[in-house]
Amino acid sequence: MTALRTGQVLLMLAGLIAWALQFLLIYGATSTLCGREWADATFLGLGVVQASILIATVTALAATAAAFAWSLRGYRSAEARPVSAADRFMVQSAALVNGFSLIVILWQGIPAFILPACA
Amino acid sequence: MNAPERPESFERREPELPNALPRPAGEFEALKRAWKSPRGLSFITDVNNTYVGIWYVGTAFLFFILAGILALIMRAQLAVPESDLVGHDLYNQLFTMHGTVMMFLFAVPAVEAASVYLLPNMQAARDLPFPRLSAYAFWAYFVGGLVFFGTIFFGLAPNGGWFMYPPLTGTKYSPADNADWWLLGIGFIEISAIAGAIEIIVGVMKTRAVGMSLDKLPVYSWAMLVFAVMIVIGFPAIILGTLLLEMERAFDWPFFIAERGGDPLLWQHLFWFFGHPEVYIIFLPATGMVSMIVPAMAQTPLVGYRLIVLALIATGFLSFGLWVHHMFATGLPKMSLSFFSAASTAVAVPSGIQVFAWIATIASGRMKLTTPSLFVIGFLFIFTLGGLTGVMVAMAPFDWQAHDTYFVVAHLHYVLIGGMVFPLFAAFYYWIPVASKHALSERLGRWVFGLMFLGVNVTFLPMHITGLIGMPRRVYTYPVDMGWDALNLVSTIGSFMIAAGVAIFIYDLARKFRFASEDNAGNVWNAGTLEWLPNGQYATRSIPAVVSREPLWDQPNLSKDVEEGRYYLPGTATGGREALVTSPFDARPQYILQIPGAGWQPLLAAVFTAAFFLLLTVKLVLPSVVCGVIAIGCVIWWLWETDPGPTRPPADIGGGIVVPVYVTGPMNHSWWAMIVLMVVAGMVFTCMIFSYLFLWLVNPSAWPAQGFVPPHWIWAAIAAALYIASAILIDRASGNLRGEDRRSPRSVPVLIGIALVLVSAASAVDLAAQWRAGLSPSAHAYGAAVYALVSYQIFFVLTTLVMGLYTIARWLTGKLDSVRRTTFDNTMLFWYYTAAQGLVGIVVVHGFPRLTGGI
Amino acid sequence: MLSCALALASCSGVQSALDPAGGDALRIYWLAVIMTVGATLIFFAVTGLLLYAIFAPPERRAWLGGRNTIVYGGLAFPIVVLSMLLPYGLIVMRDTDVRMPGALPIEVVGEQYWWRVRYPGEDERPAFSTANEIVIPVGRPIAVSVTAADVIHSFWIPNFGGKIDMIPGRVNSLNFTAERPGIYRGVCAEFCGDQHARMAFDVVALEPSAFEAWRTNQAKPAPEPDLPQLVRGRELFRTGGCGSCHVVRGTEANGLFGPDLTHVGSRRTIGAGQFPNNVGTLAGWIANTQHIKPGVRMPSYGSFTGEDLRALAGYLESLK
Repeated sequence: MTALRTGQVLLMLAGLIAWALQFLLIYGATSTLCGREWADATFLGLGVVQASILIATVTALAATAAAFAWSLRGYRSAEARPVSAADRFMVQSAALVNGFSLIVILWQGIPAFILPACA
Repeated sequence: MNAPERPESFERREPELPNALPRPAGEFEALKRAWKSPRGLSFITDVNNTYVGIWYVGTAFLFFILAGILALIMRAQLAVPESDLVGHDLYNQLFTMHGTVMMFLFAVPAVEAASVYLLPNMQAARDLPFPRLSAYAFWAYFVGGLVFFGTIFFGLAPNGGWFMYPPLTGTKYSPADNADWWLLGIGFIEISAIAGAIEIIVGVMKTRAVGMSLDKLPVYSWAMLVFAVMIVIGFPAIILGTLLLEMERAFDWPFFIAERGGDPLLWQHLFWFFGHPEVYIIFLPATGMVSMIVPAMAQTPLVGYRLIVLALIATGFLSFGLWVHHMFATGLPKMSLSFFSAASTAVAVPSGIQVFAWIATIASGRMKLTTPSLFVIGFLFIFTLGGLTGVMVAMAPFDWQAHDTYFVVAHLHYVLIGGMVFPLFAAFYYWIPVASKHALSERLGRWVFGLMFLGVNVTFLPMHITGLIGMPRRVYTYPVDMGWDALNLVSTIGSFMIAAGVAIFIYDLARKFRFASEDNAGNVWNAGTLEWLPNGQYATRSIPAVVSREPLWDQPNLSKDVEEGRYYLPGTATGGREALVTSPFDARPQYILQIPGAGWQPLLAAVFTAAFFLLLTVKLVLPSVVCGVIAIGCVIWWLWETDPGPTRPPADIGGGIVVPVYVTGPMNHSWWAMIVLMVVAGMVFTCMIFSYLFLWLVNPSAWPAQGFVPPHWIWAAIAAALYIASAILIDRASGNLRGEDRRSPRSVPVLIGIALVLVSAASAVDLAAQWRAGLSPSAHAYGAAVYALVSYQIFFVLTTLVMGLYTIARWLTGKLDSVRRTTFDNTMLFWYYTAAQGLVGIVVVHGFPRLTGGI
Repeated sequence: MLSCALALASCSGVQSALDPAGGDALRIYWLAVIMTVGATLIFFAVTGLLLYAIFAPPERRAWLGGRNTIVYGGLAFPIVVLSMLLPYGLIVMRDTDVRMPGALPIEVVGEQYWWRVRYPGEDERPAFSTANEIVIPVGRPIAVSVTAADVIHSFWIPNFGGKIDMIPGRVNSLNFTAERPGIYRGVCAEFCGDQHARMAFDVVALEPSAFEAWRTNQAKPAPEPDLPQLVRGRELFRTGGCGSCHVVRGTEANGLFGPDLTHVGSRRTIGAGQFPNNVGTLAGWIANTQHIKPGVRMPSYGSFTGEDLRALAGYLESLK
């Protein structure tokens, strides 16, 4: 696969990959911090569990938003310029996937605002 | 109103046809000869996807019937309270086998089987890229599955539930062989599923009709691609789980025994990391089928193609963030549970997208109420209900009540019967005209549908209530005065209605199904996709170039032109079986893949592989090892005939396109397959590292156990250096094996030989270091985890050994040179992987205890 | 469809999630009701649209046949609904199963196929053990901590809330409050082997004063038998070797393998919630254990004569 194609695939899956990393991070952090009773520590005035969830969520949201903006730009230019059908498909799908991922990542972060860290 | 989207290319004029008429004499005959099946008993050695696909679907359907009969016995037992129709022991075997057989021997094989048959046809490929691998996967499943099922007749069937939770399934509480049948039988059938998945990934990406770029790929192909990737990611977890539990049972390595630092929850994580995606692994191919059937029945293109692709991919990802929703009651922190609650909520959205896409498609066309349509409508009805109760159980507090009750039994059967069995029956009715002389009866079809649809609702709708008023799952009987009697009786009546429907289906099948390829019933539904092209054992006469997603609707002469051989590759370039390999995105012709034909090797290899596992289960170690060696011998015999090299100069396939008949490197199909295999191996290894870290987390003060001094770091350094050195030597050998002049320098086998010694030494050092330090694998979970990592690495080194010696043998017999080097490439990739895995293993085993201050 | 469940909601049941007898169960019940109503409406809307798409005249249904149907119906609608449901579900989760100060601690261990129950000492009230029955005071929060001695079990009293798994090597907790006196039933919800189906227990919610009386009585040693036949029963209990597995406090029977029988006569049922407790069922149980509940650890004691069996069962029944 050429670098262009690899880039297209990565852009198409960017939001979902960001979600997967966010998920891995928040679940791993919660398990480790609660499992080792380090959860009482604080970071920036927040409980360390809540803080790690927020940081992971904001980072994933930012990355996905960037990918979304990038693919939307590609979407428009693909409408304007004649490109191959496969190229257009990839960039349009990327916009859809990344847009959807924004919601999922957001939902994934909600528990931090509602639940206690380790109870 | 939005017009249904159509690719712009539809507007363009059709290109000139690549091949002119008349076709040269003998061309068609040569093609037919190449694809002819062996006669007589040897017929079973054919590997053509048409045959293997039908056998495979038939076997999966057989297991559906068998597991269904088990369910009927259970329902008969539960019809009245305090019944003694079957005892507790048989009942526990029945529900374990019902779940296990339905999941592992019916659902996954059925969708994989259907794709072995359908996928190449739908993409106008002559066959899958590795037909012998499909045959191997089928025969292994056939033999292993039947023997596994047979255990129920001897009271030897597993009885610990399809989820096999230890410690109940450990040696202490299940000393008999029943659990081993599950672990070895199922572990082995998972390998067959992975073989199929590799085949499907490469098949979807590389063997398509010319011009079938990703935007024109049938939705079914997309679904199968996501399905196969999910198997590659998800199945390794359960393979590792079964491996660890079997090691615990056989050698007393305490992965799940709490007294010695293990944790029963580790199994649950591994099981459900596979087990939840499994549901979508079954469901996605079924939605792919529905997305093919609905447009044909409504006679209009699918609405929202991109959104459906989004839904498939998103489901594929999200389904890996759900596994703990099977563990909501295990006492994990609420915060941890909530992540899975959120992801379980999110995964409902892609399903919603698909449901509304089908509704929109139906609305934009004119739905004919044929039997396939009825099953699709029934699917939408039942699956929607199951999906909604799925959202309910995604809310952890509700699940705390519903979990392990009949509410969940109702939910999962709505989702699985609705989401998989109904689409499969729709698919049977829809696609049987491709594979049979006659279509099935529409009149009887209505009865089949009616009985099954009513039966499913009568059986499972009451169970929602049965569960909420307190009836737990997996009970062989229940007390009289609980208010469950009437509901259970209704469920039992419903289950026999389903059975009646299936019985009529079997009757109709026996009456109407007559296998056919050339003289099949044809395009009875006026569908638009390529599997409805005129067909033979060679698949289509020529490989079409397509310009849309429904080529048969948009290219009116396509069938005739394809059949006359006016499209690409109308004959055989090398005289043997071939497939046209196309580029993964744009589907431009790349090369002609020479594929192997009929042979005993995959069949024998499968039978002996099955014998290896089955004999091991009953502790006949020596015969088992003998069978294992024979199986490896058969695989080598099979491989020896592959990697043919450029047997002729590049061939003209029509339209001025000249493609080679042999390529190596990243374009090669087996290179792709090797990469996928490495992902599988890497996932098993990753799950192993996860298990190691998980056990560390539950053993705060004993990692490593008190008093144990890990080996000196110099051992780690030596082993690491040896791995690196062996990889460098292989890299050198690769460098020496280049050039268009077909050279085969003597340095190649020598370098491989030295590298073999180094890599073997590396793993020996690794093992010796732990052993000399006095680490016991059975004293504590720490030792078990370390030796698990070390043994897994040794397995890879042994495989590398076989591959290295095989590559040297190819060189010695003159079958390896700088052009014909696929064998070498595969060995090289595997070697790099083994070395890298060894290095990571060393870092974890030696570095982690030092990092966490255990020393 | 699912609204049938609502119709049944008024039914009472000793083991029913639809008959909540405590705050947690009620909170979950309302979550269930709201989701059931919502799911039913959505179900009818979706199937209605499907039938409309099939049967409405083409010009009437044309609006449904485009991409907007998917965007609004399949994407926007679920996102809006689920964005409301998820936080609601999480709030219910936060408020359910919460450890309250001043809760009554109870320890339960799941064993194949019965429940070992221990009430730790509180203030000057001593600790004691019992089995297969949990008695709780109404109005006071209860904190049950659970684990398992052999395989995984799951502790579930539907009328009071959700279930919690009992896992070897882990101690889990379940918190709830009973708000209505009465008799309820709990059950093992995780498949645990041969007799998983016959592993239940009684839950008796008493007014606080009645609970205190019960507790005081349970902490006492077993009453001395006062009839010759009961004395004979105690002797048979001793010579039959029952004491090697069972405890009867105040006697030499001190086996820890099986259930504590000190006040077995005061329990409502025997065999882990299987039969009403009386002399007849006790005698039947002792003589035919493996027939009634095959696979349990206790062997059948079929060698007792009928008279001996009556004496033995009578003695046990007298242990109030």
